[in-house]
Parts: sequence; C-alpha cells; structure tokens
Amino acid sequence: MLDIVSVKGIKPYQSSAWRITIIFSALVTLIIGTLLLGMYRQLMNEQELQTNQHLAAETARYQQMALTLDKSSFAAQVKAADPKTALIVWRSSLDLIGALSLIPDDMPMLPKTRDFPILTAGPDKLHILTGGLVMTRYGPVLIATRTDQLATLIDRFVNAAITALMLTIILTLALGYLFSKAILRRLVQYNHLSQLIEKGEYSTRLPVSWRHDEFDMLAGKFNRVLDTLENNLLAVRGATDNIAHDLRTPLSHLRIGLEQLPDKTSQDLPEACAILIEKLDHCLATFDAMLSLTRIEEGQQTLELQDFSLKVLCEDLYEMAEAMAESNEQTLTLTTSDDVQMTGDKYLLFQALFNLVDNAIKYAGEGAKIEIVQQGNEIQIRDNGPGIPDEEKGRVFERLVRLDPSRHNQGTGLGLSLVKAILARHNAKVNLMDNTPGLIVSITF
Amino acid sequence: MKILLVEDDATTIEYVVKGFTEQGHNIETASDGHQGLLLATSMKYDLILLDRMLPQLDGLKLLAALRATGSQTPVLILSALSHVDERVKGLRAGGDDYMTKPFAFSELLVRAEKLMQRGLSQPAETGLVVGNLMMELLTRKVTLNGNELMLQPKEFQLLKYLMEHPNQVISRTLLFEAVWDYHFDPRTNVIDVHIAKLRRKFEELGFGELIETVRGAGYRLRQGN
Repeated sequence: MLDIVSVKGIKPYQSSAWRITIIFSALVTLIIGTLLLGMYRQLMNEQELQTNQHLAAETARYQQMALTLDKSSFAAQVKAADPKTALIVWRSSLDLIGALSLIPDDMPMLPKTRDFPILTAGPDKLHILTGGLVMTRYGPVLIATRTDQLATLIDRFVNAAITALMLTIILTLALGYLFSKAILRRLVQYNHLSQLIEKGEYSTRLPVSWRHDEFDMLAGKFNRVLDTLENNLLAVRGATDNIAHDLRTPLSHLRIGLEQLPDKTSQDLPEACAILIEKLDHCLATFDAMLSLTRIEEGQQTLELQDFSLKVLCEDLYEMAEAMAESNEQTLTLTTSDDVQMTGDKYLLFQALFNLVDNAIKYAGEGAKIEIVQQGNEIQIRDNGPGIPDEEKGRVFERLVRLDPSRHNQGTGLGLSLVKAILARHNAKVNLMDNTPGLIVSITF
Repeated sequence: MKILLVEDDATTIEYVVKGFTEQGHNIETASDGHQGLLLATSMKYDLILLDRMLPQLDGLKLLAALRATGSQTPVLILSALSHVDERVKGLRAGGDDYMTKPFAFSELLVRAEKLMQRGLSQPAETGLVVGNLMMELLTRKVTLNGNELMLQPKEFQLLKYLMEHPNQVISRTLLFEAVWDYHFDPRTNVIDVHIAKLRRKFEELGFGELIETVRGAGYRLRQGN
C-alpha cells in the first residue's frame, strides 16, 4: 500500500489529516504544558510557604527558649534539636554549637531567607539549606531547614512532566501519521477504482465498510451515482440496439421493395411506391420521436406555457379518442369534476395524455371499457383490459421497451417514454395501478 | 401565381419547381439567403417558400428582415427541424405556415394554395358544392344526392376541408390540423377512424367510393358525377 501512496503523489505528511494532527498535537502540548506550568508554580509557592512557616515557628521557639532558659540549657536545647525538623547553629562566645560547623556569611535576618549549600559525610554529599539568622540574647542563631528533598521532588515532577509532554507529542504525531495514512489509503483506493471506471469498467463499486463513517457515506453515494450511470448506459446501449432493430427492419423492407420496383407492371407501380413511402414515413416518425424525446428529456425544448383547464383538456381528449374506441368496439367514457386551471404546455400535455388513451385503446382489447376520469388535479385513464404485471410496471416507461417481445405492434416504442418526459417537465406524478382487471394510469399535477 | 423558393438543396429545388410548374404556377428560385432577400424585397410574389437553414443568411433572419420592410407576402417555412418549438419560432418570426422536410408535394401544394388564396379578396362563401355533394356553411346542412347527411362536428369539419380541395390528395397531417387545434403527429389512426365513419354514412347512400384512400399519402374527395 505504501508504494501506491507514494506513487499517487500525495504523501501522508501532505494530507489534511496530517495537518489536523499537527495542529491537534500542538494544541494538546500547549494545554498540557500550561497545566504543568501552573502545577509547578503552585508547588513552588507551597514549598516556600511551608519553609517560611516552619522557620517562623522555629524562630519563635528559640527566641522563647533564649528568654526563658539559661545559657547552658539553651546550648543543650540547640544541640538536641532534631536535624530533620530544623538545623540550628548558635554562635556562642567561644565556638559554634549545633548541627553545622559554620555559619555562612551574609545570612539575612529572618524572616528573610537565603539558600546555601553544605557538605555532609553521607551518601548525598551536597545539600541545599534555606535559612536565616535570629538574634537572641545569647547571640545570633542560624535556623535552617533542608529544602533539597522538596527540590528533588519538584525536579522529578518537572522531568516527569517533560517526559509526559514528549510522549504526548510523539504519540499524537505517530497516531496522526498512521491515521492520515489510513485515510489516504482509502482515498487512494477510491482514486484507483475511479480510474478503473474511467477506463470503462462500469461495474466497479467502491467498498463500503462496517464503520458507516463519512467515507462510507461518500462511497455509498458514489456507488448510487454509478448505479444510475450504469443503468443509463445500459439503457442507451439497449436503445441503440433497439433503434438498429426498429429501423433495420423497415429499411430492409424498403430496400427489397425498391429492388422489386422495376419488375412491377405500370398498374401495380403506384401502390408499390405508396407502400414504400409509408415504410419510410414510419422510419422518419421513429427518428422524430427519438429526437423530440431527447429534447424534452434534456430540457432543450422550451415549453410553450399557457393557462388552460384540465377539464377542457380531457374533453378534447375524449372527443379525439371517442371514434377510435368506437371503431374498436370499445366504450370510452369521460367523467370530470372540480375543474383545475393550470399553466403548462397544453399541446405537449395533450400529446402525452392522448398517448395514454391511445395505448389503452390499442391494448385493452375488443369490447373493453375505457374511462377518462378527471377529478381536481388528478387525471386517471382506466381500462379493464389485460393490465400490466407488477414486475413490468417499472419498465414500460423506458425507452423503446415494448412488452410485446415480437415488436409486432406498430409503434415507435417511444410513446410512453415521451409521456414520462413530458409529465416530468410538468412536475406531474405518474402512477400505474391495478384496476383488477386492467390498468389505471394516474397522473397528478 | 408567382412563387419564390429560397432553398439551397438542388434535389428539393428540382422537386418543388417541377411540381408547381406542372400546376401552372410561375416559380423562381434563390439558392442563398442574400439572393433570396434581394428578390423578395425587389419583386412582387404571391408566396415565398423559405428554407430555414440557408447559406449566408439564416431563413429566420431573412424573414425578420423581410417583415421589417413591411412586406405582407405569405411565407411558408420549410425546415428539417421538426420540433414543436422550432415551428413556434418560425411562426413567431413572421412565418404563415411551417412544413417539415421531408414532405409530400401534395401537402405542400395544398398549404401553398391556401396561403395564396388568403391574399385574394374573395366573397365569403356560404356553401360548397362538389359533384352531388352540397354543404351549407351557415346551417351546417350537408346533402348527398339530395339526401341529408347527419354529421358530427368533427366529421363536418373533415368533409368541409375535403370539399374545399376536391380531387386533391389531402394528407392525414393536414386533416388533423384542420380539425384539431393540436399540432403533433398522433402516430395513430385517429383520422382514419373519423374518415371511416364519414365514409360509412356515404356508403349508406351508395356513394362510399367518393372518399378515396390514397395509400402512403392521404385521402381524396372525388368529384362525383
């Protein structure tokens, strides 16, 4: 996968996921750093406060002792002081008494303090003490306390904080890198598949994982677009085949007819020519229907909008189709109620509706009862013929689909596609329903 | 009648010129838009047949220029563009009728004569007579050989159109346009059905052969005896 990543030109560190990672880890570092700094300061303050309180308490104690005890008792107290709580050094007139063998110079008077190092014989040879001088009636007393343990603690804390910070940065960056690489891998996969599609492998689909994340949603959408495209392509392919078939047959008849023309007697000639012209007209009509269907479907044909009444449209429809039904020994009835005025291309809509009625007359069979029912904004064309099986209902509006596989019935096979396209341009809904028996075509504007 | 044909396709020119000459019309031709406009504006014609797609000057532009000069000469547009909106465009630009190529000459002739007659001021006809067939336009009474025919409105309109063009082949498209206000190719036998009904009424009186079917072309009303 890595080679594909590099081959496609985009490297993980160039990806947006990586940029987000960088920003994210910088933010995390900043937040954690600020928190640690705050804690560090708090600790330092706390330490100072404790040291000062401790020293102040010791100071008060020794001042008190100097006042109440005599000199030797005071010396004993100084010597007996627990070095863990405080280191006390008293400079008596002769020498230093206490825990330390010296009093550093420049020690300030308490409560001011100063840090100073001392050497001991123990394992940790160098210690840092904090302390100051107190004047008693027996002379200056140095009161100091060890702070280096606390300092060590703080040092450790700082070290730990820095380590944690570094780990955070490294971890977020590493995870981010892997994350962006994973995203890129999917993108590269998509890229790869889209190249396959570009090359003509239209059945290729993007993988959709169980994660249902935004990539899967995108892939799902993309797959649906591909489904539509593939269907359209198949439809076009099918249509091309059908056109070839539809035109080849009359064209080959024409050819045969023309070849036979010279052998016709002058008496038969006009009839023979007329037949050929009829065949040619049929081819031309198929062409025209194809063209106007494409134009209406693709919106190239501008609609001639005008106001008209649905009731009047249905009445015209009835008037035109009545004689046709009659000649097929069918009955055609018209029922209208709640007239609706609408705006649209009256002629195109009439053509579409006429097509539907014409189909009912053609396919419902002799003696059938056909109804045109207009109620409000709905027009239904009902018949009690054989109807259309449910599984075929979706197909009838496709281009050049004829449910009669022999393609025996005259017609271009485009009528219903044209109906669908015209109605779609008028935002009308078409529904095919069962009339048990028969078919109901319902159109709602 | 004097006709101008503006057309660049030699086959169409030959076909149309031959047809109109045989009918006794005087027809002149122009093979591009400029020449066509020049002739149309400098001479007086009873009808102009105009191709839509012409070299140098588009047919619709020629038409617009012609109408801009105030010319009222009827113009019949011939076009390979069959779409309804193209037809509307042509008629909006000032065309009086529109025909799609390929066409049958018989249909062109009927349309052309209709347009040319429009220019002639004729007294309003009150009746039509073709052989023993008589039609009173005001009372809508039709008699055949003295017997009254009961016709439905559409049948009446069909017969009227046929009687206006006796002995001429009338295409289904022409009849469809004459009877219905909808311009589309119904691709069905709607006209045939109405004609059949009309013919049945003629047959009852023994004159079924008066309305003749011309295969591949349309119908013809024969001038009876």
